[in-house]
Amino acid sequence: MSMNGSETGGRLLGTARAGTIESMDCLVTISGSNGGRRIEISGAGAARFKEAMELKINEVLDRLSAPDVKVSVQDNGALDIVLGARVEAAVARYLGGGRS
Amino acid sequence: MALNAVHRNIPESIDGYGDTSGRLFEGAFARQPEGRKHGAKLRSVLPGGQQKQLKGIKEAIAASGLKSGMTISFHHHLRNGDYVVNMVLDACAEMGIRDLTLFPTALFGVHKALITHIGSGVISRILGSVNGPIGVLVSEGGMVAPVVLRSHGGRPRAVMAGDVRIDVAFIAAPTADSGGNISGRFGKSACGSIGYAFTDAEYADCVVAITDNLQPYPISNVSIPGIFIDFIVQIDSIGDPAGIVSGTTRVTRDPLRLMIAKYASRLIESSPYFSDGFGFQTGAGGIPLAVTAHIKEGMKRRGIKASFGLGGITGYFVDLLKEGFVEKLLDVQSFDLDAVKSIASDARHIEISADWYANPWNLGSAVNALDAVILGATEVDRDFNVNVNTEADGALLHGIGGHQDTAAGASLTIIAQPLLRGRIPCVVDRVHTVTTPGEVVDALVTEFGVTINPRRQDLIDAFKEARYGDTVPFVPMDELVVRAKRMSGPMSPIRTTDRIVGVVEWRDGTVIDVIRQIERRLQS
Repeated sequence: MSMNGSETGGRLLGTARAGTIESMDCLVTISGSNGGRRIEISGAGAARFKEAMELKINEVLDRLSAPDVKVSVQDNGALDIVLGARVEAAVARYLGGGRS
Repeated sequence: MALNAVHRNIPESIDGYGDTSGRLFEGAFARQPEGRKHGAKLRSVLPGGQQKQLKGIKEAIAASGLKSGMTISFHHHLRNGDYVVNMVLDACAEMGIRDLTLFPTALFGVHKALITHIGSGVISRILGSVNGPIGVLVSEGGMVAPVVLRSHGGRPRAVMAGDVRIDVAFIAAPTADSGGNISGRFGKSACGSIGYAFTDAEYADCVVAITDNLQPYPISNVSIPGIFIDFIVQIDSIGDPAGIVSGTTRVTRDPLRLMIAKYASRLIESSPYFSDGFGFQTGAGGIPLAVTAHIKEGMKRRGIKASFGLGGITGYFVDLLKEGFVEKLLDVQSFDLDAVKSIASDARHIEISADWYANPWNLGSAVNALDAVILGATEVDRDFNVNVNTEADGALLHGIGGHQDTAAGASLTIIAQPLLRGRIPCVVDRVHTVTTPGEVVDALVTEFGVTINPRRQDLIDAFKEARYGDTVPFVPMDELVVRAKRMSGPMSPIRTTDRIVGVVEWRDGTVIDVIRQIERRLQS
């Protein structure tokens, strides 16, 4: 896990990560976006759970009032509850509130 | 379109497969044989006649009369170590032979080299299981003709019934002699049983044995006698021993799977079939191996013995034989080194053909004698229909193996599987592909307990009578489906085109389901 989100002139740069690629987990990477919120999903859940996963990610980002970010998820079969927690942790790290 | 007995819409005609009218699945035992067996060409060798041994694979291909458009067969006992399939197809390509129908008993990852020959038109059709990269290629529509999937018993049936005619069978032979007698038991590429090759040897118009261990005539412990073999080719190596047999097969250490194995063995022990002289098959997966260990403890407690263990044989079964818990092993495929050693040295460890193992159209295959079998699944539905062929995204990645045959033959057929694989539920409202119909599946065992098919009230009664209480929970199917949905969340549908890329035959040759082309695969 790494995080180097830093604030430069009010604009967030760098990336932050949370999670693993162990079975039933996912690796969430958050980076800056200048074109609105973007979500990319790959891996085990992508074929059948893409929509459910997007719903969950949007729900967490909205709840945290996250800025426009790019979220990419490398999934290895994470349940919604795991995905939500990983996104929340990655956002916190991206905003500088979490530990690296 | 017409609905078959498992409510699948099957077109009246399938491009590259043929008419399906009169060939729709109507029930596990509905279709019975008629007419006579279809045989190989009559041929002979005179006393003092020609030598069978030829210099190389190309010479053998030329001598066999193989031409473009013909059907060639292979057996898969060398598994992921096999060199023979790729060598033969490379030779065909170099000789300008095209448009071949491949009729393997199974293909493995090592055969991904065939993709080149599919692309260039050397191979135009595959009758057999596909997995790995070839499975992805087929699923995404990379072959013109659909793949035809048959079970281990359905395949010899199709040959005898004339559904498939083999022009040339190529048999990888770990040991051979100059008369063409072959054995899988000995040699540096020993694989144990070569049971899947028997029918091909008997029914092909020409049979080529390829060996890396040519011995003086005659060898002992013959698997297939030279009376069926036209030509022998000696090469340096037919396979990589590391890929042919695994060193040891291991019981799972995952506590979830161990719990499932315990539940499954308790279900078997509660059934009326668990008595002296029972016969069973468990296979080589992590859960089945653990079930075998539990069954041994159960036999000890009850003071009973099994009469036979069947199927793909592992060291675990060999130990049961040596320790006297099992009287005989009937072996169609030897999975590990211990099994290979055992079949070469112990007369109670018997090599059987796929026909003997599982063919529904003979006078009693071994599966009919099974009391219990433990099987896996990618999906099971409310009606207990089982899918073992397609993955969650609809990709065709697995063969049928002996699934249909053992399920149909055994008195107690158990699917043992965790409720979720990652986020993907194994229990669903409707399976994407029906491999085995619920009418021959008796129970599903997950980490949540034992779920018994309501049509087997006798098993439900016997299970309840065993009074396991909370130690082995009983879970109705409806509850399991709800639980799976709650954990996994809503699934998006699989997006397919109308084009059929695979036909799944029931073991009697009827069409039980078709597999349609998927969009480009997202995961690797």
